[in-house]
Order: sequence, then structure tokens, then C-alpha cells
Amino acid sequence: MDEASDVMPSELPVERRQRHTRDRTASLNSLSHFKSASSKHIRPRSTLRNRGSNASMKSVGSDTDHSEIIAPIPRRHLLQTSQSLHWLRVDTSSGDEWLNRGVSPVSASSVGSVFPNNRMANRLSFTALMEHERTAVGPSSTADARILEDDQGTIGAGRRFVRWMHRNNMKHWVVPSAIAASTLVKWCIGLGTYSGHNTPPIFGDYEAQRHWMELTVHLPVGEWYTYDLQYWGLDYPPLTAYVSWLCGRIGSLIEPSWFTLQASRGLETGGSKLFMRATVVILDLLLYIPALYTFVCAWQGTRSSRKRHAALLTLLFHPALLLIDFGHFQYNSVMLGLTLLAINAFAAGHDLFGAIFFVLSLGFKQMALYYAPAVGSYLIGKCIYLGPVHGTRLFLRLALTTTLAFVIMFAPFLPPFSPLSTIAAPIIRIFPFGRGLFEDKVANFWCFTNVLVKWKQIFASREGILIKASTGLTALGFLPAVAALIFGGYKTRLQKDAQNHSVDVSPSMAPSSPTPILPLLPYALLTCSMSFFLFSFQVHEKTILIPLLPLTLLLSGAAPTDDVFLWGALGNNVGVFSMWPLLKKDGLGLQYLAMLILWNRLTGYNPFKVRYRNFVGLLSSVVHTVIIILHLLELVVTPPARYPDLFPVLNVLISTPIFGLIWLWSIKRLVEVSWAISGLPGKRGKEGPSLAASAISTTSSSATFGHSPMRGEMGVRATSLGYASGRGRGQTDARRRALVASAGGDREH
Amino acid sequence: MDTVKQSHSSPTDELDDSQKPHAPKSTSAWTWLNFLGNVSQSEVDVLLLSTAFKFLLFPAYRSTDFEVHRNWLAITHSLPISRWYYDTTSEWTLDYPPFFAYFESLMSIPASFIDPKIVDLQNLQYDAWTVIAYQRLTVIISELVLGAALLRFIRVSVDPSRQRILSASLFLHPGLLMIDHIHFQYNGFMFGILLWSILMACEGRKLASGILFAVLLNFKHIYMYLAPAYFIYLLRSYCMSPAGAIIPTRFISLANSVLLVFLASLGPFVLMGQLLQLLSRLFPFTRGLNHAYWAPNAWALVTAADRVLLQLVKHLDVGLVVNESGIASTSRGLVGDTVFAVIPNIKPIHTFIITIIFQMVYLIKLWSAPTYKSFVAALTLCGYASYMFGWHVHEKAILLVLVPLTLLASENYAYYKTFVIASVAGIFSLFPLIFTPAETLLKIVYSVIWGGMILYPLHKQLYEFPSSLPWVLLESFENAYLYGFAFLQAFVTLFPLMTGGNPDTEFLPLMATSVYCAVGLIWSFIRLSTLYIIEQY
Repeated sequence: MDEASDVMPSELPVERRQRHTRDRTASLNSLSHFKSASSKHIRPRSTLRNRGSNASMKSVGSDTDHSEIIAPIPRRHLLQTSQSLHWLRVDTSSGDEWLNRGVSPVSASSVGSVFPNNRMANRLSFTALMEHERTAVGPSSTADARILEDDQGTIGAGRRFVRWMHRNNMKHWVVPSAIAASTLVKWCIGLGTYSGHNTPPIFGDYEAQRHWMELTVHLPVGEWYTYDLQYWGLDYPPLTAYVSWLCGRIGSLIEPSWFTLQASRGLETGGSKLFMRATVVILDLLLYIPALYTFVCAWQGTRSSRKRHAALLTLLFHPALLLIDFGHFQYNSVMLGLTLLAINAFAAGHDLFGAIFFVLSLGFKQMALYYAPAVGSYLIGKCIYLGPVHGTRLFLRLALTTTLAFVIMFAPFLPPFSPLSTIAAPIIRIFPFGRGLFEDKVANFWCFTNVLVKWKQIFASREGILIKASTGLTALGFLPAVAALIFGGYKTRLQKDAQNHSVDVSPSMAPSSPTPILPLLPYALLTCSMSFFLFSFQVHEKTILIPLLPLTLLLSGAAPTDDVFLWGALGNNVGVFSMWPLLKKDGLGLQYLAMLILWNRLTGYNPFKVRYRNFVGLLSSVVHTVIIILHLLELVVTPPARYPDLFPVLNVLISTPIFGLIWLWSIKRLVEVSWAISGLPGKRGKEGPSLAASAISTTSSSATFGHSPMRGEMGVRATSLGYASGRGRGQTDARRRALVASAGGDREH
Repeated sequence: MDTVKQSHSSPTDELDDSQKPHAPKSTSAWTWLNFLGNVSQSEVDVLLLSTAFKFLLFPAYRSTDFEVHRNWLAITHSLPISRWYYDTTSEWTLDYPPFFAYFESLMSIPASFIDPKIVDLQNLQYDAWTVIAYQRLTVIISELVLGAALLRFIRVSVDPSRQRILSASLFLHPGLLMIDHIHFQYNGFMFGILLWSILMACEGRKLASGILFAVLLNFKHIYMYLAPAYFIYLLRSYCMSPAGAIIPTRFISLANSVLLVFLASLGPFVLMGQLLQLLSRLFPFTRGLNHAYWAPNAWALVTAADRVLLQLVKHLDVGLVVNESGIASTSRGLVGDTVFAVIPNIKPIHTFIITIIFQMVYLIKLWSAPTYKSFVAALTLCGYASYMFGWHVHEKAILLVLVPLTLLASENYAYYKTFVIASVAGIFSLFPLIFTPAETLLKIVYSVIWGGMILYPLHKQLYEFPSSLPWVLLESFENAYLYGFAFLQAFVTLFPLMTGGNPDTEFLPLMATSVYCAVGLIWSFIRLSTLYIIEQY
């Protein structure tokens, strides 16, 4: 779809453009005879359109429009013959069961078994789901709108850059140069000031990190969590301490005075600043950037390389993270990178590695707990999906790995190395329940409602109630994600007709096969982390980075006219805006402006374009206008003495509703996607899913059929692309799922 | 993926969005910029993204030039015009021509509203956030002149997609980034005027071209390096008919316009009788042949040869007369006379004569072939000759060569290769200007990205396989030279670490940079001269 406008200059006459698309499609499919058959463009469209659902046609047959099937189709089937034969061979013994095979996850694995040892087979495309949704969004995003995309600048500088690079034969340099450019930008943000710059006696986050390096280098492990707690005592989990120790050792090798105990407190020399900034950039290069790259490969493997490159650009210049890590000074990219690696490992089917990465992420920063319910319930969902035998096996393995990873991480604080009582100190430090509901002005529920209800005064002596309330609300907030994942796992669980399955299903039982509930994971992560951000205890405004990660991941996989894209861009901009008071205090106002310009231009998001078409478009126009007005007001108006915090409070009042809406939207998306995956509750019979799928796919094909010819062409392209890159990757059921989802989208709109 | 590649190289794909007519409604927001034609999205991208990036450079290292310009804001704001060229409150006295002083005076008006302390003459070394942001911002805004000129070049070009790359290369030039946005100067603005002037010549509006160049001269007198080419070109192609007869009306109109420009600039000072004082500020002849860091020109090689000979003489005891004061004269330290130990000393008059001789050769060629392309080449070469042989040339002057040379880069492969060698050596020669560790990484990474983005596509479009063995050898030598810069950078970075900052060998990385760049720049100079002389216009 978007590739279509990518490849061809948009001013070409429509006729030429269509031929062009077709040529490309054909070449992608290596169907040489297909060109000749496509002299009338309507035909191949319809045939290709149905190709996506051919499995269901095969199974249910008569439901689909046979009159539309013409010559090219059999060739495609020939390519699949091995699979079909494979099915048939099994099916002869399984009787009725083969009807289900098209849809049930079993088929994915059986296709995978045709291509053994193919690691790619484990990639599941949840973006294919989005792609298809976009084709079915309805007349709002018509082809004409897309032709004008380039001229109206909705494509974004990133896309244009990638396109230019590809045209000039520099395809292989896109990723290196993008990484180099983003590193350059990060480094340049680091030229500015940092948190607590030149503000003795306590300084800020920069001094905290530097102080931890100082104390871990000089003190025995047992004293790390007890040493002079008043001055930036260590309150992050042990992995942070170990990394600090490593950085401190290296730094001490270069210049011992940077980390001398006590004497180096508040040290702000140019050299030490440079070293500290370098550690963030290097850790980011070592962890976060590979994680992003593997994310784009693992989760967007079915997209064209141009789109993947553009997605990578979007992720590399993520403004909120860059401003906080490289400006304000923190190591969030390590924690987020580890979580991302965990998600990638899940997508690739390596659940145990994923669990280890997630434990490491938790061990680096306890904020990763915001993701924990989603990750945990994903793994439980997967265990349920695998069925009692294999599921239990996986569950035990996971439990063992996780426990072991935690034990190893806390080993220096545990008995053989130190008395058992040592462990108490880090635990108490890591979970500070004694600090109060919220500290600064933070855009969450408590601070937002605090304008009207003075929580702290009302519950002055009964903090316990507040803690319980916040815990309860948080749990309620992430419940939909947990439910969706577990229920999704249950709905799609493998059939336990043991006698037929013993032979065929076994490859799928290996923990390395993709699960159908994977597309739910990003939304679940978003729901969970946003719920924590909104409702939990002791939230800091920087914590918005954690919900922003899954949101940006989703955004990177969406087209610029998508709802997902609009929500993601709005969320990111508002997220950065919600940290404005903090950044202003750090002296990073200019970097704030620069990064917002850069990222919005890169993604092609124009915050001030009025979009009447849908709610989120209208909302973002309004919100962005209000933000600009607020910034201008702040320049000229000094807040009255009675309300010194006027602007931070207004900031909270603007940001919180947006975050709340994103939370609600992610729940809505969860429902939609899980519906797409597993159908409506209670409809799952023996042949239920396949019937539903075929019915839905007919709906979707006829739905697209009704629009302009261009739409059909795009549909062709999406399908063929999905096929081309999905071939040999076991994408059959992903594609079907995508179709189902598109139908879901149809109903919804 | 192979099939995808194939379709990339198909002719329809090569159609850039530059080559198609733009829908008028899509650019309605830019109608006020109509004189630039329709601005395409990719051009807006370059502008916005580079501006965002330049914002990030606000807190970067800045040289004393920053305080120089702040002081000029203060001088022009708080003193009457009669005192401008006399004031010595700060050591950074006003030493640019009057138009620049007027420009500073103009900029000082908003500055006084933003923060009155900026324009306080006594407030030396003021480095509050307001003054940094304001001055850096003026550089970015004034650079739009350059951007507009470059856009206009795309519009009049026969091959817009290639010119777009060249224009982007100039707008994002690492030299300009380092000098203007880190080191701090207003070169982008000045080169904008120069390019407007060249553009006028390209469009055949030669009177405008002459006037703009006269204006430019009154902004910064270093552009006198290029003046001979302008003089000959305008005289031959504007004031004379092709047969060689002078057209009096044109001659008079050009002379009058230029005179008027100079009158507007210098007039007030002539009236006040300050012309000599002004000129003494503009042309201080108390400096040495080389700068503290030798600009990589011919004299850098001569000086290096002298240093090597000195060591030889010392060790071999050949019996040559050694100038004792030359031994003491090192390349380090204060601005002063460089005294050679072995080689006879160079006087300003010598450098002047050599420069003139070289320029004469190009000017004769220009006289016989006064076309636009010949003019640009002669212009570049005049600047190049001055850079190569001038007295006390600063390394920043290499931009005078690189900017017009870029306009020639897409002529053919020979010009392109000349451009590559000169650009790489020239940009590298600017690296010592930015010596702080944080900005060192920045300048290297930025330059490498720039090089890859600009040179690779041009190379692909222009490459011609060398026709015979000598050319193949030459090509491989040139490539080896270019790859050598990676090793040079490694040496420059690692050497101080290995020696631990030993003051006796401190000068070595700088000297190595200077000599290595000088080799490339001289070779590129020879290439360009040869190309220009043998080419038929």
C-alpha cells in the first residue's frame, strides 16, 4: 500500500501507476506469466484478493466467490503443494479435523515443519494485522488521499530519506547511517546541562548516578545499600549497581579523581561529564539500539525493507527517551532495551531467553515492574495455549529460569556470600513505600484529582488506605491486559485430540514456535504500564517513558494515516510535554524544542493539521494548540504569587486526560485484537474458527472490492507482500489472522 | 529482494520528485517564497532537520570569535558611528568592513530588548544563556540567505536532482557547521551573498552580480581573494561586446553601481576622515607567514621542509648556514613571524607576486573564454591560488575554495574527483579548529555522515573508468590518499594519549595534519588548474 506510493512517483498517470504496481507485485511473486494475465487490472485484484483467504476457500469452498478465481491462482497453489500434500497426508487419518487446520495455530507449525530449521519461520507479523486493517478502514483513507501524501508531507522525512537512500543504491547504509545520526543527536543533546547541574549541596540525577559509581567502586557489596542513605543512597536493583561498578572501575582507570570516595561529591569537571555522557551513549549503543534493530526484524519481518528502515528511524529518535537519558541523565535505555530484547525473544519463540532478559530488566530498574503483569500473563497465556503437558513443562522451565536468574542476580547479598539479613537492605531501598502518594507534579490520576480532592490532607494519618486504593486501582487498570492475554491463550489453545496430533503437532510443542496471542503483547504492555503510571504509588514524571515505549513500538509499525499512528504521535508529544517542567528545570528547553521538531518531521506527523475525520485527529489538533498557547503564556506571564505552580498544574491537567484516553484506547484495541485472534466468546466449535474466518474473509474482500480500483491494487500488494516475505516463514496463519482482524476493523468503523 | 532492486533501477523509479511538476495547491503555504519556485518537502526536511540539529549545538564549544562578535554588538549599539573603528575597550576590536558593522548594529537592536547586558560595552566575556541563544540564533537565521540561494540554484539547474545534492551538501557543509555553529562566525550568511552573486552571473544578470559582490566585499574583505576573477569577467563579458569593443553605458553603470555600494559603506568614514584608521584595522600587516597552526597550503610544505632540513643539518653537519632565530621559531605559540632556519625567508611581497602570477594565468584564460562556467572555475582558482600562496592565510579560508568548487563538482568525473580530494582534505584541515573532546566526536561523525550522503550518490552518477594504466595508477593513489585520512585521524587521536601530552612532541599531530592536508590540497589545486587550462569553453 504505502510501498505502492513509495515506488512510484506520485505524479505518474494513474494507468501507468497501476501497471507499475502490478509489475512489482508480479516480480515479487515471481509469477512471470502473471503479467500477461493482468491486462485487465480488475481480475488479478480479485484473484489475489482472495488468495489471502485461499486456505479457507479450500476448507469451506463454496462460501467464496468461485467465479472470480481465474488462471493465476493455480500457480500459487502449486507453490503450496508441498504444504497441501503434507496436510492431506495427515488429514486422511484425521477425518474432520483438517477443516480446522487452516485456522488453528497447528497449521502454522505444520507449515513450519515443511521448512525445518528455518529460524525465520518463527516470526509472527502483528504488523500484517495493522496493514490489513488499514485497507479496510473505509473510505476515509482513500487512494487519492495517499497520492497526495507526499505533497502534503504526511509521509515524513524519515520515509523520504529511506526512499532516497534506496534509490541511490545506499540501502545497506540506511541502518548504519541512521544509527550514526541518532548517536550524533544523542551526543549533541549531551552537550547541554543535566539534572542538578551546578546546584549544590544535593545536585540531581546525574550526581546520583556518579555517586553510585563512586560508592560501588570503593565499598564492599554488603554496604552498597546502606552507605550514607541521605546523600543519594543506592535505590535501584543490583544490576544497576554492577553496571555502576563497571563504569566506575573504567572511569577510575582513566582518571581516579572522578570517583574518589567522599572527595568527588558534586564533581562537575568537563572530563568527568564527558565520561558520564559517554557511558550512557555506549550502553545505549550496546543494548538499546541492537534491541530496536532486532525488534524491527523480529516484529516487522513481513514489511518491506523501506518501511522497516523508516520504523527504525522513528524509534531511534524517540524524543522523550533521548531527552531524559542523554539530557537529563539516566540509564533508562538499558532497562527499556532489556525489556525490548525480552519482547523480541518472545516474538522469536525463545521464551526462556525472554524471561531472562526481563529479569535483567527488572534487575536494572524496578520500574520494569510496570511491564511485569503483561509479560507474566503473556507467558501464562502461552503455557495455556500449549496445553496441559507442554504448557506445564514450559511453565516449570520458566519458573526455574526466572528464579535462578533472580538468585544469581542477588547472589552477592545471599547466604554463601553474606548473611541472609543483607538482602533486606536492597529490598527496602528498591521499594520505598514510605515516601507518600506522589512527590512532584506528575500527570497521573492522583495528582490530577488532587486539584479538587486533597488526598494527602484527607488521608493524612491513614496512608495505608491510599496505598491499598492505588494498588487496587492499578490492578483494576491492568486487569484487561491480563485477562486478554490469558483468555486469548485459552481460546487459541491447541486441540488435545491426542491420537491425531501425536505426530504432527510435536514441532509446535517446542517452545520456539510463535503464539497467536503475540499481537496482543504490545497493547498489553501499554495498558499495564499506563495503568501503573496513572494509578500507582510514587510515580515520577520520567516514568512516562515506560508506557511510551510500547506506544512508540506500535506507532513505528503503523502507517501515517492510521489511528495507531495518530494516538502514538499524540502520546509521544504529550509525553514529552508532560516532562516540560522537569526539562525546563534542567535547562533543556532548547533541546526539548529541537527534538520535538526533529521527531515530528521525521515521522511526518504534523501536530497542527486539523483532522476532522476522527476523534483522535480532532483531539490532537486541540491538544497541540493548547500546548502551544500554554508555552507562549509561560513566556510572557509570571504566575501569581498565590499559585507558584500554576504552569506545572496546568501541564498536569492537560497531560493526564490524554494518558487516560490512551489507556482506554489501548484497552479497546486489546479487545479488538483479541477478538480478531480468537473470535467471539462461545463461538468456538470444532469447525467454528474456520467458518468464522472464511465468512469474515469474504466480508473483507467484498468490503475492499467496493472501493476505488486503487484500493484493490493496494490490497493486492499487501497480500502479495505478506506472501512474498512470509513465504517459508510459516506466515499462513498470521495472514489469516490479519484478515480476520481487518474484518473486525470493518465492523468497528 | 533482487527483483526489488531491479525495479529500483528501472527508469520510472529514477524519476525524483524533483523532476515532476509540483501540484500548486500543495505549496500554497509557501507562496510568499515564490521566487524560489515551489519548495519541495525534501527541501523543507533538510531545513527543519538541520535547524533542529543546530539548536542542539547551542551549548557547544565556542571560540573567542563569539566574544568578538558580542563585543561588536556592544560597540555598534552603544557607541556613535565615529567611534566604531577607534574603540579599544576590548582587545577584540572591530576589524570587518562597515557593512558588517551595520549588520551588527542592526542585530544589536533586538539584542538590547532581549537582554541589555549583551550590548553593554564593559560587560566583557558575557556568557549568559541569553547571549548564547541570541547570537547562535542570528547565525541560523542569517544562514537562510545561503539556503535561499541554494534553492534558487536548484530551480535554474539543468539537472535538479544532482544540483539538489550539491545544494544540500553546501547547506549542510561540515566546514560551515564547524566554523559557524560551533566555532562561531557568520560565513553561511556571507557565502549566501556570494552564491546569490554567482547565481546572478549564471542567470545573465551581470550588473546585479557585480553589485552583490561589491556588497559582499564590504561585509568581509577576505573575499578580495576572488575579486580579480569578478573584475575580468564583468569587464570582458558585461562591459565589452564579444568582438572586444567597450560598451560605455554598461561600463559606466557597473562602475557607478559599485562606487555607490562602496560609498554607502565607506562614505561616512571618508566624511569623518577615518578611512586610514579603518584600513589599518582591516589590513593588519603585523602577522607572520603562517598561523600558529599552519594552514595547509604551499607554505606549510615549505615550512615543514625547513624543519626537516634543520634536523638533517643538525645531525649531518653539512656546513650550511643556519639561521639561529629560525631554530627558536617554532610553529607553536604566538602569532608572529615564522623564521626559516635553512630555507631563505619569505617576505609578504614574494607571496603577493606568486599569487598574482598564478592568478594572471587563469585570468588570461577567463578573458579569452568569458562564459559562466569558465568564470566559476576561474573564481575558484583565484581563491585557491590566494589560499595556496597568500600571506598569513587562515585555515578557515579554505571555504572560499570549497564553496565555488562545489558548483563545478557535477561537471564530470575529473572535476568531481578534484572536488572530493579538496573537500576531504579541506574539511579535515578544519578539524584542529574544534579541539575540545566532546566536539571532536561530533565533528568526525558529522563529517563522515555528510561525506557518505553526498559523495556516494555523486560518485555513482559521475564515475568514469580510467582510460589507461597511468590513470588507473593515479586513481588508486588518490584513493589511497583519501583512505589515509582514517589513519591520520587515528594518529592524531592516539598520539597525545601515547606520549602523555609531552610538550616537545605536542606540535606533531598538528604538523602531520597540516602537511598531509597540504599534499591533497596542492594536488587538487594542480588538477583544477590543469583542467581549467586545457578545457575548451
